[in-house]
Amino acid sequence: MARRRVEVLPAGRRMRVPLLVVGGGPAGMAAAIEAARGGLACTLLDEGPRLGGQIYRQPPASFRVRDARALGRDHGRGAALRAELAAAGAGIDARPGTSVVGIWGRDVAWVAGDASGTITAEQLVLATGAYDRPVPFPGWTLPGVLTAGGAQGLVKTMRVAPGRRALVAGTGPLLLVVANQLHQAGVEVVAVVEAGRPSWSPRALGKVWGEPGLLKDAWDHWRALRRAGIPLRFNQTVFAAHGAREVEAVTHGPVDPETWSPIRERARRVDVDLLVVGFGFVPNTELTALAGCRHRYVHELGGWTPVRTARMETTVPGVFAAGDGAGVAGALVAVEEGRIAGITAAEQAGLLGSAEAERRRAPPAARLRSLARVREVLDEISRLRPGLTELATPETVACRCEEVSIAEVDGALAHGARDLQAIKLMTRLGMGPCQGRNCAPSMALHVAHAAGEGPEAMGRINPRPPIKPATVGALANLNLHRIGDAQGRAAQPAGSQG
Amino acid sequence: MSRAADVVVVGGGVIGGAVAYYAARRGLRVTLVDQPKPGRATSASAGGLWPLGESAGLGCGVIFHKAMVASGAAAAGQGPEQLPQSFLDFAIRSNGMFPRLSEELREAAGMDIELEATSLLFLMYDEGDEAFARALRQSWPGRRSQLEWLTPEAAAGAEPALTRELRGALRFHGDDQVNPYRTADALRAGARRHGARLLSHTEVTGIEVERGRVVAVRTRSERLPTGIVVNAAGAWAGQVAEMVGVEVPVRPVRGQIVCTATLPPLLAACVSTTDCYLAQKQHGEVIIGSTTEEVGFDSGVTLTAIQTLCAGAVRAVPALADVEVKRVWSGFRPGSPDELPVLGPVDGLEGYLNACGHFRTGVLTAPLTGLMLVELMMGEQPSYPVEPFLLSRFARAAERGGGLARRQVEQVEEAEEVGGREGVRRRG
Repeated sequence: MARRRVEVLPAGRRMRVPLLVVGGGPAGMAAAIEAARGGLACTLLDEGPRLGGQIYRQPPASFRVRDARALGRDHGRGAALRAELAAAGAGIDARPGTSVVGIWGRDVAWVAGDASGTITAEQLVLATGAYDRPVPFPGWTLPGVLTAGGAQGLVKTMRVAPGRRALVAGTGPLLLVVANQLHQAGVEVVAVVEAGRPSWSPRALGKVWGEPGLLKDAWDHWRALRRAGIPLRFNQTVFAAHGAREVEAVTHGPVDPETWSPIRERARRVDVDLLVVGFGFVPNTELTALAGCRHRYVHELGGWTPVRTARMETTVPGVFAAGDGAGVAGALVAVEEGRIAGITAAEQAGLLGSAEAERRRAPPAARLRSLARVREVLDEISRLRPGLTELATPETVACRCEEVSIAEVDGALAHGARDLQAIKLMTRLGMGPCQGRNCAPSMALHVAHAAGEGPEAMGRINPRPPIKPATVGALANLNLHRIGDAQGRAAQPAGSQG
Repeated sequence: MSRAADVVVVGGGVIGGAVAYYAARRGLRVTLVDQPKPGRATSASAGGLWPLGESAGLGCGVIFHKAMVASGAAAAGQGPEQLPQSFLDFAIRSNGMFPRLSEELREAAGMDIELEATSLLFLMYDEGDEAFARALRQSWPGRRSQLEWLTPEAAAGAEPALTRELRGALRFHGDDQVNPYRTADALRAGARRHGARLLSHTEVTGIEVERGRVVAVRTRSERLPTGIVVNAAGAWAGQVAEMVGVEVPVRPVRGQIVCTATLPPLLAACVSTTDCYLAQKQHGEVIIGSTTEEVGFDSGVTLTAIQTLCAGAVRAVPALADVEVKRVWSGFRPGSPDELPVLGPVDGLEGYLNACGHFRTGVLTAPLTGLMLVELMMGEQPSYPVEPFLLSRFARAAERGGGLARRQVEQVEEAEEVGGREGVRRRG
């Protein structure tokens, strides 16, 4: 019998590109730049209205910036990268405002408002970044509790002061940055409480020595904090946020230096209307998962990360992962990883000889080695300790989408659930719109802590398309439009009433 | 601690849960062994209880039939085949057990299975749909009182969210819905309340048979002595049957489902069209199903399916165009060659009972399946004749020389040829 295929649309209507870069942050921009320099035309998609990602986020176009220096050193680095991107010229087809909702092999489905479509990419660079790690504690879902990234977004992008009196809690250098930004925006920061403790041994200093820029960054932030009179307390963290409808006060106190278990009898209460919490980041691995890449759990890198070669290629040939989405290591590392991915993509497309590609990869590779030493120092301070999971009480909300409590999760454990997938089916945890992004990382730690196993044994909540908001109407039109049709086109089928 | 069980149930979906529940309620010592697997049908299911609709080929049936017509594998002009009367009666009887079961489970397990009297609406878009609905009404004279013909105006009045581009709708009273995983959860919890032992995350590795009798079930960590084992392993039932040398022709038939964000009440009834079915659950999400595909145990989802289901949903309920999709998933219906369940004993092996092959209607037929299985265990006359569902029917069909089973197999092969990767069996 003749083989006939049922096709909704002729395959020719789909767009085909040699390289698709998903994510327009530091890693994605750098990958696009190097690919274009190597002669490989590339399409760059980003969900934000303008390129830059979270760290090099730009104020809306309607804002006028009088003094660029006020925007900070990251802004300068972002501007430099954007200039490189502009110089790469027509080789890069940048499409902001476009979300990728799923990947099937090399077919990438995108949505831009009501419009949608499919791009078939010969090679893919996934540079999807990371998101703030949610850590549940009593009151963590109250309005007035912001993540460090969220607070930074408000101050940096929208120039909005998110409160009047704030406590900043968590771990890592970002706390200092956010505290200073809040202070500059006119917020009274009562204290920064850092769960970890720095160990400034000569050995540690030696490791950072090769990165004077980073050392200066840290020093500048610390000095600014001192000038502003904001106390920085080590081995302390937030225990609870209080308030009827929004945050009115916060309880914080010391933690065990080794385990970070809260020492509740020494808790203090302070009146604030803003609590900023930053316990690091979690890589966005939905797309690498959907692309079929193998992942492994690396606690220091934020959890599940795609397995990669030194050239940033995942276990799926032709699919690269770069930046925080492949393991949280910050913007400087992301840029260098992106460069290596872009150069290698051009090489594998046959546009760069292997010797030339190797020559181009050498400088970013050297930078990565140097940055890795700094990384070891930061990990000593900020590696999450298991006692953090003791902040939550049985009544604490674990999954905010479906309002599942820690007690319900523990109930599922008592009923024999042994991994996140089973807990999901028993409690609806992770069944909401966020697909477990907000609960899975913390619940993996919680369950692992309770069961005495590693978080990797808890498995993952499998990502399901669409991984970004997409309407039924947009998905109904998948692969009906080329990407160029996306702008300003109503994609509603006839008869739609809204 | 583990004394011998009277019965070991393999599989903790809605069927295994129902068997365990009814058995434990009768005072039997029950052990339920379950290994959750990707694509398990109960968790993927939409939870429709549509005895009339399913028997008539609504739900996934008409969707698949239309796809087959479009691809040339089925003739236009007639709808999907109806399932036999024996199945319709079986499904209606099981459906009738839900109100009481719901109350029992609320009592025993403190859980609400979210049973809702929704009815099912078949939407008529064109002449073909209308002819199909008319023929259906004629073929079930005894069920007239349950079928209600709605003019376009009446349909718009009853369900304002529906498209106005309709020739009418046929309402099936008594075709309702539950929350499928709450139902399975509640059955398991109810079984436990009546003394059943639940072994979750436990894989059955073997079944011991001595002199033609089942004597024990083995898991990775223990041996469970028992006189009776029930195979309720859904799409994996064939693998369990193989452990006792029995061939059960059950295989995975994938269905993909689109689930919207939580919405305020939009649809009072469940809706079936030739493109998709829609069911708004108590939680507010609208479930949009479903494809029917033979792709083995591949629990992925496809672009084409997402697009066609979404397009079908927008056609039926235009306001859904602006609603966000929460997730898309897939599950494996346990499909048998004639689409009927495989229940009861097999020849020459004592203590082994099938409770599998429920295809599209496992949730619907779980209560009666559970009840019948317990009656069979007790050596009683089952509440519904088991003969149409015995495994031996396939052998008899084969002996008759290419009877039902053979005809079905040929159709399957043809469908696979035509549909390729997204190709399929008859319907689901």
